[in-house]
Amino acid sequence: MLEVIQPGLETSVQDYPGRIGYWNQGFPPSGPMDSWSFRLANILVGNEPGEAGFECQFNGPTLKFGVDTVIAVTGANMNPKIDEKPIPMWESIAVKTGQVLQLSFATTGARTYITFAGGIKTEPWLDSRSTFHKAGVGGMEGNALKKGQSVPLGTGQGKPGRKVKEDCKPVISTNKTWVIDVVVGPNDDWVDEEGHQRFLTSDWKLSAKSDRTGFRLDGPDWTFTNKAHNKSPEHGAEPSNIIDQGYPVGAINLAGQTPIILVNDGPSMGGFINPYTVPSSSFWKLGQSKPGEIYHFNTISVDEANEAAMKIRQICSESSII
Amino acid sequence: MLIEFGDEMNLELNFMGQGLAAAVEENKTKGVVETAPCFASMLIHYDPEIIRFENLKAQMKEMIGSLGPSGDIELDSRLFYFPTVYLDPWTKECVEDYCEKITKKVWDPVFIAELNGLADEHEFVRVHSRTEYWVAALGFWPGLPFMMPLDPRCMITAPKYNPPRTWTPQGAVGMGGASTAIYPVATPGGYQIFGRIPVPIWDTERRFPQFENSICLFQPGDRVKFVPCSVEEFEYVEQQVKDGTYVFNVVEYQKFSVGNYKQWLTTFDKNQKI
Repeated sequence: MLEVIQPGLETSVQDYPGRIGYWNQGFPPSGPMDSWSFRLANILVGNEPGEAGFECQFNGPTLKFGVDTVIAVTGANMNPKIDEKPIPMWESIAVKTGQVLQLSFATTGARTYITFAGGIKTEPWLDSRSTFHKAGVGGMEGNALKKGQSVPLGTGQGKPGRKVKEDCKPVISTNKTWVIDVVVGPNDDWVDEEGHQRFLTSDWKLSAKSDRTGFRLDGPDWTFTNKAHNKSPEHGAEPSNIIDQGYPVGAINLAGQTPIILVNDGPSMGGFINPYTVPSSSFWKLGQSKPGEIYHFNTISVDEANEAAMKIRQICSESSII
Repeated sequence: MLIEFGDEMNLELNFMGQGLAAAVEENKTKGVVETAPCFASMLIHYDPEIIRFENLKAQMKEMIGSLGPSGDIELDSRLFYFPTVYLDPWTKECVEDYCEKITKKVWDPVFIAELNGLADEHEFVRVHSRTEYWVAALGFWPGLPFMMPLDPRCMITAPKYNPPRTWTPQGAVGMGGASTAIYPVATPGGYQIFGRIPVPIWDTERRFPQFENSICLFQPGDRVKFVPCSVEEFEYVEQQVKDGTYVFNVVEYQKFSVGNYKQWLTTFDKNQKI
């Protein structure tokens, strides 16, 4: 058991890959945005890579342990301390009943992951413990942590002193700019050549109006092909309107002129075009970027995106631990 | 992977999407994690470690080729009647809030009436509430139905918001393109909004028998009829919902015959004004 002394800005229970198999009813996968850091945190404490842990956003929680266990902290640096003493990240650590883990503001990155040997044992909902805040389901009472809550923990076989190899950690940007891979499509033929060039050569600033549903981007306007202007009326008259369709997770969704990257808690369908898609291998970068930071987009092929995802999957294994 | 079956909204294309999704499920196509069929397309979430894009594409082409003709289809189809306040104060307030905080626009029902050559918002209500709606897909938000009018004479179209709204009242009825939707909970949204129902269409607590098997009320192939009502009637039903005494007004003994429907379509001029 774990007592929430301070909840932090938005600390939620997540598991990986999340709530899969309900996209056709409108349920998003949820799950950790930086699943690379998340999976390694689980492996450190001896769990399966997808076991439920915490995702902490921008400002972390203060938690008091009601059991002896082994924990790990990965992802963004929120200067974690136990009983006021700094502890290393990317390493499994033994904690005793009564000790207090305290995280503060993220200095590098945006999201920190905390895992526990044996995982968090909240009630699964539609086969997953991931929190989907917007609909109030999963996790702790369907929401981010609240002060005073008791979080149930499992029991595991964690060993302290296990570390992630230096070259197996994601490298979090420190200069406020990110190169994000994108795959072209599915609705790329609605944007004209200048529109594509502008997208790929411009700075895109992550808006403060972003959350786990969507990352809004500020940048230049879009221009469109004939297909977007001359179409049957059931699409809707605006150039970015299309007959409602399924959205892939990671779609760069063009609502009017505002691109929104649909992330872990995003909508499954809708009537706006998706000219590009961020593949799962780049999601950790989205998860670690803060509002105000700049994205540059770089196109890769479907095959390259698949290779990149498989490479991360290989890294998220025992072979990355010393 | 997104598969597009066509460039318009009709029952035929929706059946292709639903039919392909059913075929994928039945064949247990390797590497497919899940599918999401919509009006005229189907999205596939697949595992690239098990199947490559090109390989999946070839398999899907083959499966589409072997889908049977939709004219033979007869399926169970529930018909839900919803008391609906059209031109209601709640969505109106939401649009006013949008105008104040985001950008000015004409009140949605007036805007739609003008675009579709209808006399005014009242004629829009008459046309919109006249037809049954076909639930083509669920998505955007858990349990949100994407619906198309079954009577083509009631086909109205509208652009989607630019930029989208940051909130929408729970139970709001709206449309974008030729699609009509009901917002299950208060969410952001991009459809023009003009009405509201008091009946829940998603229920995590499963307080009503309709939610026994799923917390989402609808499944594809259901039909909906909006029955215009007053604010007083809305509030009466809303209270019943709160008390848990509300009984859903739903017909559950009918089959929808695509053949009969297509035959019916030939009996009138689709472009006729009604």
